[in-house]
Amino acid sequence: MNPFEVLGFSPGYDIAADQLARRHRELSKVLHPDKFTGSGGGERREALSRAVEVNEAFRILRDPVRRAEAIFSLSGIAVGETNEPKASPDFLMEAMEQREALEDAKASGDTAAVRALGDGIAAQTTRVVEELGQGFASAQGDAEKLRALLPLLGKLRYARRFQEELEALLEES
Amino acid sequence: MAYSEKVIEHAENPRNVGTLDKNDPNVGTGLVGAPACGDVMRLQIKVGDDGIIQDARFKTFGCGSAIASSSLATEWIKGKTLDEAEAIKNDRIVEELNLPPVKIHCSVLAEDAIKTAIADYRSKQAARKAAETK
Repeated sequence: MNPFEVLGFSPGYDIAADQLARRHRELSKVLHPDKFTGSGGGERREALSRAVEVNEAFRILRDPVRRAEAIFSLSGIAVGETNEPKASPDFLMEAMEQREALEDAKASGDTAAVRALGDGIAAQTTRVVEELGQGFASAQGDAEKLRALLPLLGKLRYARRFQEELEALLEES
Repeated sequence: MAYSEKVIEHAENPRNVGTLDKNDPNVGTGLVGAPACGDVMRLQIKVGDDGIIQDARFKTFGCGSAIASSSLATEWIKGKTLDEAEAIKNDRIVEELNLPPVKIHCSVLAEDAIKTAIADYRSKQAARKAAETK
């Protein structure tokens, strides 16, 4: 499935969230089962399966990680841990420092420090999303240039994972 | 998934957790991992003038198997020469800890960490020698 096609977007990383939500709403309305009560079984099933596709496409496109994965896959570039390049030393260093800072904050019960780490990682996510947007735009489908963007996908996954951990921690406290 | 007894033992009582001074010319640092999957591993060695690993420390964020693999690695490399330590293969870690197939990558990380730490130590020594002969 090409999620961009399903929701009527041209393939690209920068998609406005409100526009995406609107398109999803419109299509869901058109495909709603209530609109097909008088139709034949075939048509009803068809509408239902399209509605399922629309929902799945929406979930993919609103998620920055899955949206990037979709663009890579559509360009024939395999994603996933074993297909992506190893983390760079700088990235590893950064991740190690953040992990250690979190460990210290946990040990001392310093909620403010956890929050500060969360703010830092949120800013990091925004930066990586911007970089990816620019990268995808300037790559224009060139496989070599696209491959060079794979490390950013790894960073985005890491940032999201770390953020989720921080949020879970803050909920507990 | 159940962890083997040895993994639990190492994960609950990890050996050699800590940090060595990464700026010490006799210390080699190996930083490896897949942060996107939650694994980051740092393994450090302190090498004597006789070329024998005197001390080893690690710090690992990840699952129990990753912690156990690096803990075991530090135990094994202490007292070994660099060449001996470098020859340690991940299958030996898999065997010792009874790691299941889905956790083999943890042992690969540990092997990688040993090799990266040794390479770091060697490049530091080479840089020092080059500076001395200038």
